[in-house]
Amino acid sequence: MIELLFHITAFKSLPLGEVGGALTHIIILSTALFFIGMYGLFTRRNMITMLMSIELMLNSVNINFVAFNKYLYPDKMDGIFFSIFIIAIAAAEAAVAIAIIINLYRTHKSIDVDDVTDLKQ
Amino acid sequence: MPERAELGVMNAIIFSALIGVVMMLGGIVIKSNAGIKLLAIILLFILLGSHLAEYYDLFNIHIQTHGMLAKSRFGMFFNTIIISLTLLYVLLSGDEIVKVGTYGAEYFALIFFSLCGATILSSYNNLLMLFLGVEIMTIPLFVLTSSEKKNLKSNEAGLKYFLMGSFSTGILLMGIALYYGGTGLFAIEASKAANEAQQAFRILLPLGLLFIFISLSFKVSAAPFHFWTPDVYDGAPSVFTSFMATIVKTAGFIAFIKLFELRSVDMGYSWKILLPLIIILTLLAGNITAVFQQSVKRMLAYSSIAHAGFMLFALYNPNDFGKQGIMLYTVAYSLATIGTFAVLTKMKDYTYEGYNGLAKTKPVLAATNTIFILSLAGIPLTAGFFAKYYMLASALKESTSNLWLVIVAVLFAAVSVYYYFRVIQAMYFKDGNAETTEIKPFFKTLLIIIAALIIVIGLMPSLLLDLFYA
Amino acid sequence: MNQLVYLIPLLPLIGFLINGLLRKSLSKSVIAIIGSGVILASFVISLVLFFQVKSSGGQIINYFNLINLDKLVIPFAFQIDQLSSLFLLIITGIGFLIHLYSAAYMHEETNEHYGRYFAYLNLFVFSMLLLVMGANYVIMFFGWEGVGLCSYLLIGFWFKNDNYNYAAKKAFIMNRIGDLGFLLAVFWMIAKIGTVNYTDVFAATSNFSSADITAITILLFIGAMGKSAQIPLYTWLPDAMAGPTPVSALIHAATMVTAGIYMITRSNILYSLSEVTQHLVAIVGLATALFAATIAIKQNDIKKVLAYSTVSQLGYMFLGLGVGAYTGAVFHVMTHAFFKALLFLGAGSVIHAMHHEQDMRKMGGLKKYLPITHITFLVGCIAISGIPPFSGFFSKDEILAAAYAKNPIYWGIGVATAALTAFYMFRLYATTFLGNFRGSHEQAHHLHESPSAMTIPLIVLAALSVVGGFFNVPEVLGGHSSLHQFLSPAITSEVVHEASHSTEYMLMGISVAVAVIAIVIAINKFSKKPELQDAQGFAKVLENKWYVDELYDNIIVKPLNSLGSFFKNIIERRGIDGMVNGVGKLVNYSARQLRLLQSGLVGGYILFMVLAIIVLIYVWINDNHILSFFYKYF
Repeated sequence: MIELLFHITAFKSLPLGEVGGALTHIIILSTALFFIGMYGLFTRRNMITMLMSIELMLNSVNINFVAFNKYLYPDKMDGIFFSIFIIAIAAAEAAVAIAIIINLYRTHKSIDVDDVTDLKQ
Repeated sequence: MPERAELGVMNAIIFSALIGVVMMLGGIVIKSNAGIKLLAIILLFILLGSHLAEYYDLFNIHIQTHGMLAKSRFGMFFNTIIISLTLLYVLLSGDEIVKVGTYGAEYFALIFFSLCGATILSSYNNLLMLFLGVEIMTIPLFVLTSSEKKNLKSNEAGLKYFLMGSFSTGILLMGIALYYGGTGLFAIEASKAANEAQQAFRILLPLGLLFIFISLSFKVSAAPFHFWTPDVYDGAPSVFTSFMATIVKTAGFIAFIKLFELRSVDMGYSWKILLPLIIILTLLAGNITAVFQQSVKRMLAYSSIAHAGFMLFALYNPNDFGKQGIMLYTVAYSLATIGTFAVLTKMKDYTYEGYNGLAKTKPVLAATNTIFILSLAGIPLTAGFFAKYYMLASALKESTSNLWLVIVAVLFAAVSVYYYFRVIQAMYFKDGNAETTEIKPFFKTLLIIIAALIIVIGLMPSLLLDLFYA
Repeated sequence: MNQLVYLIPLLPLIGFLINGLLRKSLSKSVIAIIGSGVILASFVISLVLFFQVKSSGGQIINYFNLINLDKLVIPFAFQIDQLSSLFLLIITGIGFLIHLYSAAYMHEETNEHYGRYFAYLNLFVFSMLLLVMGANYVIMFFGWEGVGLCSYLLIGFWFKNDNYNYAAKKAFIMNRIGDLGFLLAVFWMIAKIGTVNYTDVFAATSNFSSADITAITILLFIGAMGKSAQIPLYTWLPDAMAGPTPVSALIHAATMVTAGIYMITRSNILYSLSEVTQHLVAIVGLATALFAATIAIKQNDIKKVLAYSTVSQLGYMFLGLGVGAYTGAVFHVMTHAFFKALLFLGAGSVIHAMHHEQDMRKMGGLKKYLPITHITFLVGCIAISGIPPFSGFFSKDEILAAAYAKNPIYWGIGVATAALTAFYMFRLYATTFLGNFRGSHEQAHHLHESPSAMTIPLIVLAALSVVGGFFNVPEVLGGHSSLHQFLSPAITSEVVHEASHSTEYMLMGISVAVAVIAIVIAINKFSKKPELQDAQGFAKVLENKWYVDELYDNIIVKPLNSLGSFFKNIIERRGIDGMVNGVGKLVNYSARQLRLLQSGLVGGYILFMVLAIIVLIYVWINDNHILSFFYKYF
């Protein structure tokens, strides 16, 4: 883990001038968002909040893609296009998720995940 | 058939997507269940035909994919397998599929869409296609899992599958982003990746690969990312569990193996500890927990985890043995699982007690189910034996220092005999009156054909590879 | 004739299919004719083949390739040579007699179960033939697993009884433990030399290091321990007596349990290269022989005595293998197949007559009710006790002579075991057939000799038990060791021991004398005073012999009895069963713990996965440290 942190902080000493500094800040932002999303997933009990947490994770990835593209590989646009695909897929996932949640609300009269634990062992 | 990197496996992808749309629209016109089932079967034959036409170079749609999709013997073989298995599956369980809810045509359409994702996974050469393939394959499954609307368990399974599936998608995307950050590539080309990898960002490449690896472990339900499997397999309508446990799992493994072409990238970290660790955890979680189950359906879910542990051997040993072994394994495992799930869907009671005395009431079902179970347990003269054999042999061929891993695997295989034989014991040696729903002669014939296939492959495993891979 | 070789295993398979599929519609007589007929046909072909091999030597017949990839080619081929053709005769010949016997013995079963029984029995013969005929270890493994499966099915044949099911499962699982060793040995061979064909493996022994050979042979021996019921994997065999008696005779005495001996004999070239394994085999065999014999003394169930006796005799055979007397071991397999099948079938006849009573204490005096069974059973007892000129004497003598050449202590324990064998066999004989009948009036009324379908196999087997020894009369007794000469092309690493004739006469003399003494003691003790709870009043009649009886009791019988019950109750139950059950308990316990992880809470699952990801990243980053740690300490 220490080695990993070392590598991340080592961005600052890159020979990229101001670019390196800006990229580091953006990566820290996206990583923070990613872990906030992850944290939300296992602490929150409300299904809508959990869905939002997932969106947070996906969007942090979008930020990563765009930032890498802009600062490191500016001659092609593939990172940016990837994030468009992610947005499209995330929308499809959200639609399915909302449908499932509504159906669950109909049967369980609750959108708390801890109320749906019939399946275990 | 020459290897052409430029052309993807286009027929299967395009036809499966189109056929899905046709199926959906067909649902508006056709109202009877029998008609819908018939349409689905006809469309599947068309799909298989179009794929075989491409396989034998008779007809295919040329599309320039700029290297995003690649055609390989390996991928083609798996497409043949996946489509044939789906055909077998629909022939066996078509009646059950239309009975799940009121939207028979949509279920088939979703199956076709999922199949489209699976065919993309067998030919992707680019991480974007990996991402799209995985999503196209799993999103329809979320819907199929929760399709039994009035059933609380089905809803719960759908929710769990969605939450954990999306979580793993997040991990996958993060992995792809890191890989991209490290190399500027989406393509899966080990040599290029190694060149492009920027010294300063060296950590991003291995970390990205690890994240993708974790996410795919989730898709193939390898421990410790297997938690969704028992709950989802148990909660989903049994027919769809059968689909998920066989075709989807197979596709997951193809994606996994393709990704492992990147293992040769020198990045300062090796898979020498990680993979054996995951293999052992998977075998442990699958086999040991299965011992305790009271429901055959849930036992099969755990057994599917256990089988994933064996299939992971193919990743660990990227030699020819492993590659051919995984082909044999997926076929052997899928045939037996489709068969035993088909019997399961006909049972009124899914617990072991529900199988008591099946041999008396439905001898054909009991006999064929015995062959499926024996194959799953890996008893010689069935396909399952050679499947396991190839996997273990691949490990030893790679290096004799893997002997300990092989011993562990064989021990767990011995444990698996215990829970598999409980089913046989219930069917043959226990008194009871196993109740089933109505069984048609056609269904029995198909079961016998599948059982015969398992025995034939068990006697001549090279036959399968000679026919479709030579 | 070569064109017909494939028919030998195919015919039983066809019989299995016909009887299995049509068991409901066929009548009992048709089922019996098909079931026995196919075995008879196989026997006839085997017989012709045997003489062909005798005149023109063995050969390998290739059919098709089972596996063909890379450089590994595993053909589906049969190896017909001196060794396998001899086993073919034993399997099909005794198999046929037992099928014939079963036709009468199982007649009370309903049509469906009758068909099922014959189907299983045919499947068993098929698997056993595959095991013996295969030209490589993989085909042998097929047969190996097949016979295990049939044994499982037949032990649990009367599946209404839960104990029987438990016994069946125990047998299967113990066998699987042994199979693990076998499988690993096969993998090892593939990894080292990339082939599993007998001829190729034996030709390539120079490619193995001595550690490889030791490991492979020990792993194969573990396989043999499971199948042939040696310490510590033998406890399934006595429990396996839950199956019908003819099954015990065929599978658990004459054929399947000798598969381990066949396998080691087949691999004699490998075994002769590893001194360590040979000693291990000899010691395990000897320990099993003695151990099982002491337990047999205390048993009251007629089949249990025979079961322990089988374990003990198998131990003998392993002793023979361990000291390099491969021919002796095979010879003993043959004679043992004759007399043990005879004894089991005889016991079956008694049980049949007694309406499924197996407790010897309730029998006695059956001599006059079952004359044919009595005479044949007596022949079997004499043969197993090693009294010349019955068959057991010659085969036992050959093993003992080889043991003496290797190490006189082996020989000493072997002779002691032989004495115990004679003792418990005649205890069994005396309690069952001599003295007065002790059963209920009901049983006494129904006592009758068995039908001819049962007595004919008994007579044939009795005849074979008498003359079986003459196939291999040693030179010292004026013979030519014909079996030895016949098998010599297949068994190339036989240890030839040179001993003076006078030594050999002395060895024979001692073992025969000891056996005769044991027989006299047993008959004296048990014919008039069987081991019954209420035998005290009877002692007065024998007052003048009191002192002698007491002496026997205190010096020989009592210590042996207590030793027997010690082994049975303490070591077997606590030690070995405890160990085996412990593994099962561990699995169950960990299953209960592991399943707690599956809590049903999504949040919990995701938290656990995140923790797993962190651990995996840690392992991944530090893999070099972890690897070097492992290399350092393991």
